[in-house]
Amino acid sequence: MTAVPLDSFRAELERLRADAESALSAATDDTAIEVARVEFLGARSGRLKAIQKSLGGLAGADKPAGGKQFNEAKNAITASFEAARNRVLSSSGLQSESAIDVTLPGSPVRLGHLHPLTRTIRRVQEIMGRLGFESVDGPEVEDQWHNFEALAIPAEHPARDPLDNFYLAVARGADPLLLRSQTSTVQIRVMENRDPPLRIVSLGRVYRPDTADATHYPMFHQVEGLLVEPGITMAHLKSVLRLFASSFLGGDVHVRFRPSFFPFTEPSVEVDMEWGGRWVEMGGAGMVDPAVLEAVGYDPDTVSGFAFGLGVERIAARRYGVDDIRDFYRNDVRFLRQF
Amino acid sequence: MIISTNWLADYVQLPGTVDDLVERLLMSGLNHESTTSVGDDTAVEIEVTSNRPDCLGHVGVAREAAVLFGRPLHVPDPRPLEAGGDAARSIAVEIHSPEICPCYVARVIRGVRVGPSPHWLVDRLATVGIASVNNVVDVTNYVMLESGQPLHAFDLAKIRGGRIVVRRAVDGEAFTAINHKTYALTERMCVIADAEGPVALAGVMGGAETEITVATTDVLLESAQFAPLPVRAAARGLVLASGSSYRFERGPDPAMVEWSSRRAAALILEIAGGTLEHGRSVAGELACAPAMIPLAAERVGEILGIDVADARQRQILTALGFVEEPGKAPHDHRWRAPTWRRDCWREIDLVEEIARIEGYGRVPEDATIPARSSELSSRERTVRRAGEVLVGAGLCEAMTRSVVTESLAAMPSPWGETEPLTISPPLVRGADRLRRSLLPSLLEARGGNVAVGVADADLFEIARAYIARPGSQSAPASPVAEPLLLTVVVGGDFASIKGVAEAVFAGLGVSGDAGGSAGAGLRLRYRPLDLEPFVRGRAAEVMLEQAGRPAERVAVMGEVSAAAIDRFGLAGPVVAAELRLDRLEFAIATELSLVKPSDFPAVQRDVNLVVDEAVAWGDVEDAIRLTAGDLLETCRLVQVWQDADRLGAGRKSFVVALTLRSGSGTLSGEEAGRVVDAVVAECGRRVAAVLRG
Repeated sequence: MTAVPLDSFRAELERLRADAESALSAATDDTAIEVARVEFLGARSGRLKAIQKSLGGLAGADKPAGGKQFNEAKNAITASFEAARNRVLSSSGLQSESAIDVTLPGSPVRLGHLHPLTRTIRRVQEIMGRLGFESVDGPEVEDQWHNFEALAIPAEHPARDPLDNFYLAVARGADPLLLRSQTSTVQIRVMENRDPPLRIVSLGRVYRPDTADATHYPMFHQVEGLLVEPGITMAHLKSVLRLFASSFLGGDVHVRFRPSFFPFTEPSVEVDMEWGGRWVEMGGAGMVDPAVLEAVGYDPDTVSGFAFGLGVERIAARRYGVDDIRDFYRNDVRFLRQF
Repeated sequence: MIISTNWLADYVQLPGTVDDLVERLLMSGLNHESTTSVGDDTAVEIEVTSNRPDCLGHVGVAREAAVLFGRPLHVPDPRPLEAGGDAARSIAVEIHSPEICPCYVARVIRGVRVGPSPHWLVDRLATVGIASVNNVVDVTNYVMLESGQPLHAFDLAKIRGGRIVVRRAVDGEAFTAINHKTYALTERMCVIADAEGPVALAGVMGGAETEITVATTDVLLESAQFAPLPVRAAARGLVLASGSSYRFERGPDPAMVEWSSRRAAALILEIAGGTLEHGRSVAGELACAPAMIPLAAERVGEILGIDVADARQRQILTALGFVEEPGKAPHDHRWRAPTWRRDCWREIDLVEEIARIEGYGRVPEDATIPARSSELSSRERTVRRAGEVLVGAGLCEAMTRSVVTESLAAMPSPWGETEPLTISPPLVRGADRLRRSLLPSLLEARGGNVAVGVADADLFEIARAYIARPGSQSAPASPVAEPLLLTVVVGGDFASIKGVAEAVFAGLGVSGDAGGSAGAGLRLRYRPLDLEPFVRGRAAEVMLEQAGRPAERVAVMGEVSAAAIDRFGLAGPVVAAELRLDRLEFAIATELSLVKPSDFPAVQRDVNLVVDEAVAWGDVEDAIRLTAGDLLETCRLVQVWQDADRLGAGRKSFVVALTLRSGSGTLSGEEAGRVVDAVVAECGRRVAAVLRG
């Protein structure tokens, strides 16, 4: 038996392909497509099947090339068949009476938005919560003890100047009242009522007379963390802030301490975190001053602690690209709806 | 504080680059603000914290650099030549208020030639941003910027009566400063007076009468200690802050009082000529009591979490000027603080000094703390849940100011009738009243959105209000109550706002959706309310009733009046509500317990009850719920209608759909019928309802 020439095998495949293309492109309904399918792709007596049989008649050296050409033709015909079927299906769908324009808008469900400052505060709370810190809040109208004295800010300290605080016209007896200038007041209140170990995050509105501009507002938000336990060192402070920074900013973030001064911590540091390839100042921190521990009745010889504070507006502004912190208080919904 | 690097190099050899210097200073407590080239000099602006007045002079900053780079510090020892008369005879000094001026030193230089300063002096002052005045005044400024000790030069010829008196100002006393403005002083301030009246505002500014002019030949050079409070009172009270007041508020190095006086005298002789009289005229005694501070060697490790060798601790403290004294135990050290470091007086202060020079870079960042659990408080959970409900309902969270204008504060508060509390200074211009309700602020915020073209800003805010407690201005109770409020402003009618409020109540577990345990034992009763800014007759208060406690108002809501819509620039119908979250937060702590849904079939019955039009649905619902009891699954008001022809004038009909279901068996038609009959009968008794066939 003489071998089938490869050329004629290929010619036959080409013819079959052309016939199939024209039959399928002419088909306008399911029936015509099915007829074409049986003729060309039928498993028992389809024309493709017949050619597959002649593959065996090729010369041994031609068989790999012939097989490849056969597969190409089979795939092309199968693809044409799928395309024809989809074409017929979708055209029949459009003609159906229940068909809809799926590109029309959906019935609106209006979604509300939390304020970006709330989102920022929550994020801090969540991260610190995983580290065992409980969120606490306290009164915004404060007395001298909680806002100053217990925080080692004595009467002659400039921070107590009437022009640097919002004092109320009413007092409690002889004790002037003011809008709190820091949420550390809450930490004092918690320490007065609970014994160590203690891990809290105090948060809320604070007030300082600053002329409102792009980076200042006389009302703003603070989040302050406090941990008091036996044997706590600055290494714990740095490590906790690093965990916080890594969660908050993402990735393996490092923190840097620079010496600073706050009345209620000693040593005191500014905390920088790596953000966008450079050091960014995130807030202040330090070891709780022994005078503060004593003021709330703790023994500085048996417990130590650290505290840190973050300015919520500042980190929210940086995170969301807000270049004027007054925007946080304009309550323009075109702003609010973006968060 | 601006530093000239050329100037700094007079006292210490600087590192190769300014950046190296800046970086080390930054990492040891002197924050860097800016670096600017000025001619052949460089101006470096650093931020000096209020505890470090020693760094408000070039010598102090040079000392830091000397410690950080391990180089010697060279501070000049001025010994101006004295000749001529005796200063103490030329001028008498008296201190009448030693508590605000412990020590006053006067030197007298006669025959000076007041004129322009030499270039080197003009240039150095220019680098640090100070304009040259004349050679004598420039010297006083130069020495202040060198040592941190402010000085003042008077024209001695203008001092009347040959005496200087340091005393408190008399209330209302007039003083004309160098700026030729006249100020009314108070007794909180300190003045330098001559025999007749004030010639300088102590520590703040000199007087116009005695200032150095080209005509001056004899100079009285003042170097003194002034307490921070009178200086601050004058600087702040009169808005007259100066480089001098800034330093006196922080406390210069006492040892620099005498040094600076000699230094300035020497420089005046050098560049303005003249003769320095012998000695000085002094009053008072220098307030200078260096602290003796114990330091246990292990303390550093206990605070910092790193080991710093004993020798290294000693090296750092010694370089900073602390002097070691023998302690009680071999490893205990006592250190005498240098005069310029009055911020250091406790062990912890020494630990911080060692830490900042050693560098915090050594503190590890991988120390572990033991795991502890934490929980959200009921308040926090309440605030979050309320926020979730409202965000789900399509509202945006707003944040408005806690302090409002008088006109905004004048709107009555649902939460107290006492007058708004006031603050000083105002938070922003015109806003000095603590708000008693968030409603005005939120209506204003919605109006602000209308103004930018968004008419439908549906907003909520969660914040405190501030209510004065009448007659409780004595300890221990705070005279201010701070209820936590949730306020909502949306478009719509009464039903819209009630729906929002009901969703919040349900979300907080104050009321249950059908069938659950939430809200068990609690009842919210709506009552008509007449309160600004709501429309009369279209507003309600919500009273929370629970066993064993008096009912209390937990919310108000209603349709906003046309007057308020107009006032706040609102568009279309607007409704608002305010809820007392502090009175509702208990509910979220109540554990829920499943009420197992019944597997038995429900029976539906519609009832059409005709009542007088004055009858409230709430009363009908009460009757239905009470009568149907546990068998009632839901009671839904389907329709309210009035039709004079079919129901009669002044009558209305409530169409009610009841779903009845038993938990213990299939409810038969007769049983359901009996329940409905009892419901109708009870409604008849209570509100004279008649069943419409």
